[in-house]
Amino acid sequence: MVQPLTIVAADERADAKLLDGIADWCDRFTPLVSLDVPDGLLLDVTGAAHLFGGEAAMLSLVIRRIGEQGFAVQGAIAGTSLAARALARYAPRSIVPPGGEAQVIAPLPITALDCEDNILRALRHAGLKTLGMVAERLASELAERLGRGFVTRLRVMLGESEQPLTPRRPLPDLMAEQRFAEPIVSQDAIAASLLSLAGSLSGVLEREGRGVRVLEAAFFRADGKVDRIAIRAGEPLHDPAVILRLLRQKLDALIDPLDAGFGFDVVRLEALLAEETNPATISFDANENARRQIAFLVDRLSVRFGEHRVQRFVPQDTHIPEAAAAAVPAQDRDFAGDWPLHRRAGFLKGGPPRRPLRLLERPEEIDVPVSDVPEGAPRRFRWRRARFDVTRAEGPERIAMEWWKHAGLTRDYFRVETREGQRFWLFRDGLDHGLAPRWYMQGVFA
Amino acid sequence: MSHAETSYVELAVTTNFSFLRGASHPGDFVVRAQELDYPGIGIADRNSLAGVVRAYAVWKTLEEDKRPRLLIGTRLVFRDGTPDILAYPKNRKAYGRLSRLISIGKLRTEKGECLLDFTDLLEHRRGLLLIVMPTDLETATPILAQLGADTWLAASMLYTGEDRRRLRDLKHLSRQARVPLIAVNDVLYHRPDQRELQDVLTCIREHVTLKEAGKRLEANAERHLKPARDMARLFRACPEAVAETLRFCERISFTLAELGQRYPREPVARGKTADQHLRDLAEAGLKWRYPHGVPPKIAAIAEKELRFIAAGKIAHYFLTVHDIVLFARSQGILCQGRGSAANSVVCYALGVTSVDPTEIDVLFERFLNTERREPPDIDVDFEHERREEVIQYVYRRYGTRRAALTATVIHYRPRSAIREVGKVFGLSEDITGKLADTVWGHHGDELQEQQVRQGEADPENAAIMRAVDFANRLMGFPRHLSQHVGGFVLARYKLDWTVPIGPAAMKDRWFIEWDKDDLDTLAIMKVDVLALGMLTCIRKAFDLIHAAGPDGMPKLTLATVPQNDARVYDMLCNADAIGVFQVESRAQMNMLPRLKPRTMYDLTVEVAIVRPGPIQGGMVHPYLKRRANPKLISFPAPHPDHGPADELYTVLEKTMGVPLFQEQAMRLAIVAAQFSAEEANGLRRAMATFRNVGTIGSFREKFVGRMTARGYDPVFAENCFEQIKGFGSYGFPESHAASFALLVYVSAWIKRHHPTAFAAALLNSQPMGFYAPAEIVRCAREHGVPVLGPDAAFSDWDSRLERNAGGELALRLGFRQLDGFREDDARTIMAERGYGYRDFTDFTRRTALSHRALVTLAEADAFRGFGLDRREGLWAVRRLPDDIPLPLFAPRNAPEQGPETIAPLPAMPLSEHVLADYQTTRLSLKGYPTQFLRAGFAAEGITACADVGKLRDGAAVRCAGVVLVRQRPGEGTAIFITLSDETGVCNVVVWERTFARFRKEVMGARLLLAKGKVQKSPEGVIHLMAETLIDRSADLQLLSGETLPRPSPAHRHPRDVRVLPPSRDFH
Repeated sequence: MVQPLTIVAADERADAKLLDGIADWCDRFTPLVSLDVPDGLLLDVTGAAHLFGGEAAMLSLVIRRIGEQGFAVQGAIAGTSLAARALARYAPRSIVPPGGEAQVIAPLPITALDCEDNILRALRHAGLKTLGMVAERLASELAERLGRGFVTRLRVMLGESEQPLTPRRPLPDLMAEQRFAEPIVSQDAIAASLLSLAGSLSGVLEREGRGVRVLEAAFFRADGKVDRIAIRAGEPLHDPAVILRLLRQKLDALIDPLDAGFGFDVVRLEALLAEETNPATISFDANENARRQIAFLVDRLSVRFGEHRVQRFVPQDTHIPEAAAAAVPAQDRDFAGDWPLHRRAGFLKGGPPRRPLRLLERPEEIDVPVSDVPEGAPRRFRWRRARFDVTRAEGPERIAMEWWKHAGLTRDYFRVETREGQRFWLFRDGLDHGLAPRWYMQGVFA
Repeated sequence: MSHAETSYVELAVTTNFSFLRGASHPGDFVVRAQELDYPGIGIADRNSLAGVVRAYAVWKTLEEDKRPRLLIGTRLVFRDGTPDILAYPKNRKAYGRLSRLISIGKLRTEKGECLLDFTDLLEHRRGLLLIVMPTDLETATPILAQLGADTWLAASMLYTGEDRRRLRDLKHLSRQARVPLIAVNDVLYHRPDQRELQDVLTCIREHVTLKEAGKRLEANAERHLKPARDMARLFRACPEAVAETLRFCERISFTLAELGQRYPREPVARGKTADQHLRDLAEAGLKWRYPHGVPPKIAAIAEKELRFIAAGKIAHYFLTVHDIVLFARSQGILCQGRGSAANSVVCYALGVTSVDPTEIDVLFERFLNTERREPPDIDVDFEHERREEVIQYVYRRYGTRRAALTATVIHYRPRSAIREVGKVFGLSEDITGKLADTVWGHHGDELQEQQVRQGEADPENAAIMRAVDFANRLMGFPRHLSQHVGGFVLARYKLDWTVPIGPAAMKDRWFIEWDKDDLDTLAIMKVDVLALGMLTCIRKAFDLIHAAGPDGMPKLTLATVPQNDARVYDMLCNADAIGVFQVESRAQMNMLPRLKPRTMYDLTVEVAIVRPGPIQGGMVHPYLKRRANPKLISFPAPHPDHGPADELYTVLEKTMGVPLFQEQAMRLAIVAAQFSAEEANGLRRAMATFRNVGTIGSFREKFVGRMTARGYDPVFAENCFEQIKGFGSYGFPESHAASFALLVYVSAWIKRHHPTAFAAALLNSQPMGFYAPAEIVRCAREHGVPVLGPDAAFSDWDSRLERNAGGELALRLGFRQLDGFREDDARTIMAERGYGYRDFTDFTRRTALSHRALVTLAEADAFRGFGLDRREGLWAVRRLPDDIPLPLFAPRNAPEQGPETIAPLPAMPLSEHVLADYQTTRLSLKGYPTQFLRAGFAAEGITACADVGKLRDGAAVRCAGVVLVRQRPGEGTAIFITLSDETGVCNVVVWERTFARFRKEVMGARLLLAKGKVQKSPEGVIHLMAETLIDRSADLQLLSGETLPRPSPAHRHPRDVRVLPPSRDFH
């Protein structure tokens, strides 16, 4: 049997981002780097090779340096981008002198053309298996069958013409950056810088009707170290004062305070996740305002104590009482759901609640001397060393365990009222077969 | 009432015919109700009566004085917010109204649902006892007021935590509305341990996994049939509600036994009775069949039959069948009747069947003698391509409201069960798909752990094993109703008075809620208008023979094919039967040389013997031995004290003392085991339900016990019963076998004398039969038929006969063999052809075919007639301008491309041609894929298929070939695999135990290597008894000549997906 395979869903966005990052890094070799999505980069090394000791040395260097970062790399240098591209994939490490493309390319399989499947199929069906065989056909013959575009592409590939590289598209402008000739050190200066950056960022955001949910502040120290601080918000933010306050709280809450060392020469504020937002008007709906205020409180608390320390409860769809609520990070909006009103629908509308508002941490066993009626509630019981006499009881509500998860006994729940007027939620674990069953207290009604 | 204190009747019962809600079979509830000593049990599915006959069938098998009363009802579910209402008809008329009410709801939508409003109920309310299932006071109160008398208010105690308060409120409401309170447990399953299955069903219904299901599931397992004393305890605050169930029960007199059919009256000349009319038709028919005088024996039988028909008042039924057959004949549609009543002199005279009663014993006579009082059974097979015309005729004749199709209940099969259950357990589709793929065909009984392991799923994985376990439990559950292919139910008045009808997939078609077993149970007659591919094939062959033959020769018919042709039987005895009706399967072909058929009756036996019944009963070998050595013929006999030694002589005479047919097995029960008519009926009915109801034991005891007590050999008695069990899963009576035997003979005759026409007709009737076109063509070529490939210059849509260069009659393959080629395009090519096409350019311009069609032709190498091979053809098609969508610019006016001179393309290797042929036409005339692998195979010591027979018996052998067919006959313990290579075929037998180990290889491989031993039978049948099987499909990739990386699956051209077509599987 084959070892279990770990399967991870493809994340094209992350891949694109990574490729972009590598392209950034490659800026050091040449200013003209072009993306060849999803897995390639084209570097125009015209006039740059000599800086690295010639083409061969440069190719080795690029491959080695990227390889050192943990990537599998193949590369080639040729007179045209398509030729280089094909060689990198099918004959890596080739370096083709100008005019020599046709010869080097000829033995490559037609898939090296990277053209549409339907063209590949046509070539394959015609028995044309290598680029050399294709190149031997008449241009008119190919153009009539495969289109002018194909012939152009083939000519580029063969080094007979060139098509310019497309420079990379700049990133969307959701970043604000301040550079300082004299590195800044003081907290005040940092704060002032952040405020001004927050101001310019929020200006952009407001214009676009967007707010930021994940924000990153990057502090570039003069000696090259970079500190990054991210904040998350439950609601899209665009008010610079609010952003600043959250940043400050986060900075204050850092276990290792920001160490300016010799000072920061660049401070950058980047919106990593921005979302559409409602116009920043105050709503006339009082509930809406209250909700926003709670959201803001949640953000502030989360920033200060950590996202996982500020939680809220969301309902879970299950019959099992103790599993009916789950705590999730309060900022996380992916968990939605309305609480079922534990009031009866149908016949017994508007009666008292069926279940206590809060349950005990875990059910506590109670001592029930007798329950004489079959499937009935206990007459009296002992809990936490106190004795209770039941005067009124309702039930049973029978809940079977989720058989596909774990074996468990079916429970019969009762709501009971004691002589003193306390109300409890009890259950018998297991159906009543006349044996001494175990009883538990699961909650107390307010 | 004797049950007074502790008696209870459950009226709110939801069976699994409320699809994906109820979790037990209808019969389970009935049996459980009897165990619980209920005086009655109601069945009330959601807006349906589909399950009630099932309950009734089981109920009838229970002992008369112990069984509960069975109440027939429906749970009406409304679309307008009305709470559910259980409706039980008091009498037949009320039942009719209920059935019509459901039909109205079903006819409102085409999606198999039933949409009802409360006002519909008010209109049909008369005679219905109604139980309102309240959800809240607001909706229940006004409804109770409007329903008036004969209304009850349901109360349930389902452990919701506040049952008692709810009951109190209901009591209050019932007093206010003056409607009695009645206890129900609203059950979904017969026993509490079915709850888990019910949860799974809920998940399937809601398309969620168990983890996501949450409160969609029931909170507990209380919705089962409970003992009366438990119900009494739960309702101790309101005992009158429990007692009310008995009173309710007593108000109902209706039973399904009252449903007798009202068969339509066929038109008869004024002053004549139907019986007289039938007699006149039969007499005229006999004169037509026997122009030289009717043999007295035949006339006597006809007389007897006519009297029986008159006594049974079933003349109208015969007139209906006659009328339908007459219509088909007038349209030139070939047809043939079968079934107990079809094999009669009357049906022969009426032209319903062509089985000459002088050639073969008619069976209707035996049918007359049986005590069974049940509807006559005539199925009529029509050419499968033209059956629709017959169906249209039936609708025209009876009107859509008096004729409807029978239902077919689609059950969960291993594949569907594991797929759906797997989803519920959160298994990925990969895993469930793999599990499903290891299942044999669509049938099979149980998923075994072995299969799970071979599906590459880990049996240790609890979720998987659990899913498999539940899939096994779900198997056999009804999934939905579908229409039967051609079983018509006819009514004199409106049909929905008897059974709810709903719209079928096709416009203006209806089908009822019951299937053929249900109709049998209720003794309702139906006319089966079935489709048979072989009839299409035979008719086409007759046409081709006629067209190719000398002028003036009359066209053949089923009745005029020369009988008793020794050459035809010789061919069959040699197991040369590919394409021959019924006997072309591997198991049949093995049987042919052993059975050595020489007469029509031998063929009848041949057709019936390779079936689960005779095989499980161990009757095959005794029969074969007696055929080989008539001295062995003897008849099982009772002890002289118990009866005459020859009591079975008449029953088993024709089959040499060995019971082979279903009818014989039933006669055995009556004669040897002395079953009463009623008991025999019970046995016959129980046969169909052996699987899910525990009634089999009592019948076994009776059958075997009584036969043994009367002095029969206990082993013989056991075997007979096993045989009956086998018939239960797949019954095959003599009356059907006899009709089929004629078609066996006729198709064999055509194959023997007109092989070219036979092959063409088979190809033109696809899909049908066991073998793919490749095998049909191969077989034809082996018989010396020249075969020509499909060609744009010469082919039609159909394959046809053509004189080749040598003046021989050759088979020209038609465009229908090309995957993905449209018939319209073929018709265009045929219409434009005239005196032929000049060249490729002329062809493309005159036909103006789409690019797609031209590519298909080129890929199929169909331009050779224009001097272009596959590569050149495709390259040439590529050059053509794109399709012009506007008809204004007719392609004739398109600018002409200049002639071009180009270098020749690289030649395509033969192996690639062969592979490409398979990809496009699923066969190749140029070669066989394995021939290109032969050198490698030889080096491995792999024997060619044709050489396997040259080895001595018992020799070790390895043989590889393309998997042609996999068959698992009936309940047999062996799997037959036919491998083929360029030299011929090799028949591999895989025993059950080996199959279990190599299931994946058997099920999945296209190229299979089998290692094992040669087995040769005295009759010359050669088998390879497999011990090890290896999937060598990957070798085929070597042939594509493709050293390039394959394109990713997502972008693959459909034609590239499979190198070879899948084999055909039968069981």
